[in-house]
Amino acid sequence: MKTAGIAAIALAAAALGASASGWIVAHVAQGRRDGVVPTNIGYQGPASVALGDIAGAAVPGGAIDMPNPYGTSPQAIADGKRLYQAMNCAGCHGYDGGGNMGPALNDAYWRYGGAPAQIYKTIYEGRPQGMPAWGHALPADQLWKITAYVSSLGGGVDPKDAVAALRGDRPPSTDVKAQPNAAEGGSAVEGQ
Amino acid sequence: MRDDFRQDDGIVSAVIRTRFAAAIVLLSAALLPGCSGTSPSADGKATARALAIGSGHGSFSTAPDAAAGDWTSQARDYANSRYSTLDQINTTNVGRLKVAWTFSDGALYGHEGAPLVTGGTMYTVSPFPNRAFALDLTKPGGPIKWVYDPKPSPMAIGKACCDPVLRGWAIGDGKLIYNLLDDHVVAVDLKTGREMWRTTMADVSHGVTMTMSAFVAGDKVFVGNSGGELGVSGWIAALDIHSGKELWRAYSTGSDHGVKIGPRFKPLYPQYKGKDLGLRTWPAGMAIHGTGAVWGFISYDPTLNLIYYGTSNPGPRVPAQRPGDNLWTSAVFARDATTGEAVWAYQFTPHDQWDYDGVNEMMLLDLTIGGRLRHTIVHFDRNTFAYVLDRATGEVLRADNFAPQNWSLGFDWRTKRPIVNPAKTPKVGEKVEHICPPDIGQKDWEPPSFSPRTGLIYVGIFNICMDLTNHKVSYIAGTPYDGMEMTRHSVDGKDGDWGALIAWDPVAGKVAWRIPEKFMVMSGTIATAGDLAFYGTTDGWFKAIDARSGKLLWKQKLSSGVIGQPITYLGPDGRQYVAVASGIGGAAMVQSGRPGLPARGSTLYVFSIDGKDIAETPPPAAGGT
Repeated sequence: MKTAGIAAIALAAAALGASASGWIVAHVAQGRRDGVVPTNIGYQGPASVALGDIAGAAVPGGAIDMPNPYGTSPQAIADGKRLYQAMNCAGCHGYDGGGNMGPALNDAYWRYGGAPAQIYKTIYEGRPQGMPAWGHALPADQLWKITAYVSSLGGGVDPKDAVAALRGDRPPSTDVKAQPNAAEGGSAVEGQ
Repeated sequence: MRDDFRQDDGIVSAVIRTRFAAAIVLLSAALLPGCSGTSPSADGKATARALAIGSGHGSFSTAPDAAAGDWTSQARDYANSRYSTLDQINTTNVGRLKVAWTFSDGALYGHEGAPLVTGGTMYTVSPFPNRAFALDLTKPGGPIKWVYDPKPSPMAIGKACCDPVLRGWAIGDGKLIYNLLDDHVVAVDLKTGREMWRTTMADVSHGVTMTMSAFVAGDKVFVGNSGGELGVSGWIAALDIHSGKELWRAYSTGSDHGVKIGPRFKPLYPQYKGKDLGLRTWPAGMAIHGTGAVWGFISYDPTLNLIYYGTSNPGPRVPAQRPGDNLWTSAVFARDATTGEAVWAYQFTPHDQWDYDGVNEMMLLDLTIGGRLRHTIVHFDRNTFAYVLDRATGEVLRADNFAPQNWSLGFDWRTKRPIVNPAKTPKVGEKVEHICPPDIGQKDWEPPSFSPRTGLIYVGIFNICMDLTNHKVSYIAGTPYDGMEMTRHSVDGKDGDWGALIAWDPVAGKVAWRIPEKFMVMSGTIATAGDLAFYGTTDGWFKAIDARSGKLLWKQKLSSGVIGQPITYLGPDGRQYVAVASGIGGAAMVQSGRPGLPARGSTLYVFSIDGKDIAETPPPAAGGT
């Protein structure tokens, strides 16, 4: 029983691994714009898995387009700003969100996504490069208020654009200018 | 606040201004009457060639006396001189320096360390993830002999205040020894790259990181912590070089027991006499998060068996929350290297309100001061005073400004404390404009060099100020305990320079000459018996100047800005090389809003005459062309 279960998990993991590694999955191949269907000579595994695009990075796995329950309420943003300073967020991300020890929060680059639900998740869970997890310390309403403030700093992604932003597609209103003083790359340059 | 000491440009006139022209006047008057210097040209060429030499020559101990052709510690010697006796490359041929080979370590954070050379091998360590590389100098192009990958925790990246840097590494007992950003010290076999020991020093999740260079003296490794912006408890520790076992640890704040202050502590001045001053100069409960981190270079006097090092700013950085002198922050300690006992201490910036720290290096120079040979420490503090102290007793012999500042109205020789300018003290919730220098000082950790041939010290400095608004902060473990909201700008207004290279006369306490630079000079410098000094700029120029006159003799644009420390060595081919890392980062990123600042990089450059390396013909004889 136990063994069978482990075997099943192993098989599923292998299938997922094949799909995630880019070894061919018919579904992906059909999406090629040049019409070429790549093959892998000698590969004897399944031609596709029945799980669809589950391993594909381009498909959202959750409600990332969920709006902030506070929307863009000025009161929530003001409360969020107070919390942002009280919790020492400013010490890493800057009093204007310009970044310092931590990444900038006022630009269009988001390591973990810039839509409200993604920002909330980052604050709740923390992140591997030093971002603490605030989910224990703060209740949900305060996390959403901090989210509202972070979204207001200049780089926030509208929930309806969340999926497009994953692909790097910017809404037409986004104004991206060449900057003579941005050679250092800001926090978009991740050393390792 | 009086108005009568304001000049039109807002700089307090009590400040010693070291703008080039002023320095020339001072020097001409003080040292070489009748000798006329010329003005600097716009592109930064120093042209004061007539003004040459320090007022007393001075010397230093060359211990541990590494082979002349090697470079086996960050500062080359215990005294922190960064002086090399090599002279194959000299004022007559330095113009022919060309790249011999280059090496990328693949890491894009700030490159602050000096590569080390011994046994025909070069050892270099990347910033996070702190990979070590041994490069074979017996073969053309310095191919990799081994790579050691310690795999530090990525959490450390976000706990490092000022870029996940590493300021250097050490060699001793056949090992390469260095700190990981996530608070481990590792020792790696020089020949094989195998890890010999790894010692856990602290918990990175609480905001402690380690960025300083380990320092080896005898059979001990000395290391300290970073985290001055995260409310850590600052310390220095000694480890056994053979096993990595911790032998002693001394804190910078707290009770005498923790600070290792006991019967041997003989401070010279009354403010340091009394029990538990590391607690009693703080509000109750504040000393434990009071930092005094130890992240600069250490030096060692083998005769006195004392180590010297500086401590960082107090925490939190907002002074309104911690009335008192906040001992022993922004200070220097002399400690017995064997036992860790404090022997004396001196606080450069009591109740440090500007994040000035005291971590900058202590150069152990023997100088004739007031007609007497004194065994001194020369220390360029971030607070912009250049101090000369007696290194046996801590007596203050000199305190002179080496660059523009306005936080202090001068040095009070009665109390041995700088006089604070009340107009430049920070306020909670209120912007105070044009405080000079800013948090990082007019000189940060970047180490100078001393030439006994000229008696001058070559120092990379800044020319900047800040507008500062303070915010009250709470201690939350693993987050910044900071509260300083700052913007920095040039001393000289919107289009002014942000840096300079100065030659400092430590006996006269004056700038001998000054080379203005548009961008901060944050590289170490070296001086050589070829009468050269080398330094780099944060916009990516690596330069060789005449150590006597400051005349620019050679320059090369590198791929990124220079914040590392140059070295010079003899290869197995007997040829002299000069090496420096290019890779901007660290505190130099306060310039990131300035057009012209280069992108990050990861490249070590090695130079030789005509770019020749081991594959080529034999090197020229010393002094040849």
